[in-house]
Amino acid sequence: MSLLQLDQATIKFGGLIAVNSVSFELKKGDLFGLIGPNGAGKTTCFNLITGVYKPTSGKITFDGKEIGGTPANKIANLGIARTFQNIRLFKSLSVLENVVVGGFLRHKTPLISALAYLPNVIKETQSLKAEAMELLKIVNLDKVADVRSADLSYGMQRRLEIARAMATQPKLLLLDEPAAGMNPQEKEELNAMVKHIRDEVGLTVLLIEHDMRFVMSLCERIVVLDAGKEIAAGPPDAIRSDPKVIAAYLGEAV
Amino acid sequence: MKFWGVRLASILGAVAFCFLLEGVAQGQSSFVQRLFVLAGLYVTLAVSLNLINGITGQFSIGHAAFYQVGAYTAGFCASRFFAQLNLPPAAWLLLMMITSAITAGLAGLLVGLPSLRLKGDYLAIVTLGFGEIIRIFAQNQEALGGAYGLTVAPKIQYVWAAWLLAILCIAVCRNLLRTAHGLPFLAVREDEIASSAMGVNVTQTKVVAFVLGSMFAGAAGAILAHFESFVSPPMFTMDVSFTIVTMVVLGGTGSITGSVLAAILLFYLPEKMRDFTNIPLSGVAAAFVAISAAVFAIRWVMQNFHGSAKDRAIRYLGIVVGALVIWFISKALLGNVPSLKENIDGSKLRMVVFSITLVVLMLLRPQGMLGHHEFSWDWVRSKFGKPTVKEATA
Repeated sequence: MSLLQLDQATIKFGGLIAVNSVSFELKKGDLFGLIGPNGAGKTTCFNLITGVYKPTSGKITFDGKEIGGTPANKIANLGIARTFQNIRLFKSLSVLENVVVGGFLRHKTPLISALAYLPNVIKETQSLKAEAMELLKIVNLDKVADVRSADLSYGMQRRLEIARAMATQPKLLLLDEPAAGMNPQEKEELNAMVKHIRDEVGLTVLLIEHDMRFVMSLCERIVVLDAGKEIAAGPPDAIRSDPKVIAAYLGEAV
Repeated sequence: MKFWGVRLASILGAVAFCFLLEGVAQGQSSFVQRLFVLAGLYVTLAVSLNLINGITGQFSIGHAAFYQVGAYTAGFCASRFFAQLNLPPAAWLLLMMITSAITAGLAGLLVGLPSLRLKGDYLAIVTLGFGEIIRIFAQNQEALGGAYGLTVAPKIQYVWAAWLLAILCIAVCRNLLRTAHGLPFLAVREDEIASSAMGVNVTQTKVVAFVLGSMFAGAAGAILAHFESFVSPPMFTMDVSFTIVTMVVLGGTGSITGSVLAAILLFYLPEKMRDFTNIPLSGVAAAFVAISAAVFAIRWVMQNFHGSAKDRAIRYLGIVVGALVIWFISKALLGNVPSLKENIDGSKLRMVVFSITLVVLMLLRPQGMLGHHEFSWDWVRSKFGKPTVKEATA
């Protein structure tokens, strides 16, 4: 059964059509790649799915519900979590606190009992922290839990963003260029981590990436965008040899 | 059980502290009593604004407006209902604090809902405008006494009430930051887009902080109205808002203890200066020379010295001693200059000293006295290069 479905999703900014009737479908448990040259509309596509933008036309369905134009915080509650291309951590908060913010949407106690510092809130805070600590172990950041997140290295910050997104306990995880700025060894680890998240944690993953080798080795299905339009879709092998894709990346043969 | 024991003990401790202050203030002149109360009110105002400006990161510069809404609510209710209800003064004051908190909270909701979608400078302008609207509205309302002001019938001068409110305000902010519930507020300050992607309702979070902050300012207003037994529009001009903002920034935005410290310091400093009536002009000029030299030297060390924190602290200490020496020498030298021989009234320099203090602090510590930190002995120790408890035990 399909978890996420884009049906002719389109967004225009004035005269610019950033995403032009893009349609694709993710099944539960997919490891799906979204690629394309710079400015192809990949991140805009993410922003449509996560409610940063409202689609001009077309439908986006998640888990049987139409979600086009739903506010970002409600979409997070429905079960879509994301990371950002230009890392957006809560810089002055600690690594652990960043992850707890992700888990906070599951809180049950009212604000008023937090202001009075009642035992049920203390217990909830402790359990949220314990959960966050478990996630930090998955992304191998448990040793730096008390460090200010801005002081982490670039690769660590990317991993922390993934942990923070996973803390919302989503059904679908969107990763926006998770390997950007990583060295080959870190990419290797990330590859294993994303596979672990899909296989062991059981999330569906949609990721944007520029590193072809990384995407091809990781994703089972790929959609290619160019100038807002979908130009190819299919398994990595088919994409690799698709003349349209080669043309989009390298230019037409003269 | 242990939890409730500790809780009871801390509440009793707070109450005991308030009545201790009351006891100390009783023996003093009415001027000193007034200082005690106003200091408590400014602590409340600074800490509650810190919740909005520092913790949630919404730059509001109209906090005096909510202070005024609270004060006028209390004044208005006192003139209408006090005589009929026949309550003891303490109960009446508590009732008024709650009522004023509610009206100020409603005012906060009214301003917050539309304007908190704005960011940074835009929000600042809106809150500034709102502050002026409230003041001018009161100035032109017959029912509120117009420009002449409103006499508030029972004069209730309790030092403990002001400080109980201050402690309550500090406790609420601290509790918020100690639980997971405080994190969305900090997250909104750090990054709104990422917060909403994590399921935080950004607008709601901002409005809650704004309303909560306004409520405390309103309750402080009620105490002021009954203490002065009079409210008028000039008591709530933009200056008051700016003083509160200055306290928050100077203490270090986001730091509760910083706000408390800065509120007391900035309130105490101009009042203390009233005592310096006869000081030689040469001393003032010498102080100016010494302070300038110290500021330059400290800035030089900050930028060019890369040793350990301990060596750095030693250099700062050296500079302070050096500045004192410069002050003595230049005072002796300048004492011979004929035009600097006369004495001046130091109390008139209050506002000059106030502003110079601000300039110096912002030059040397733009992040505020405590930065984003809270005061703790561990923090002080780390500043002096000693290992913190955590490092020492590791």
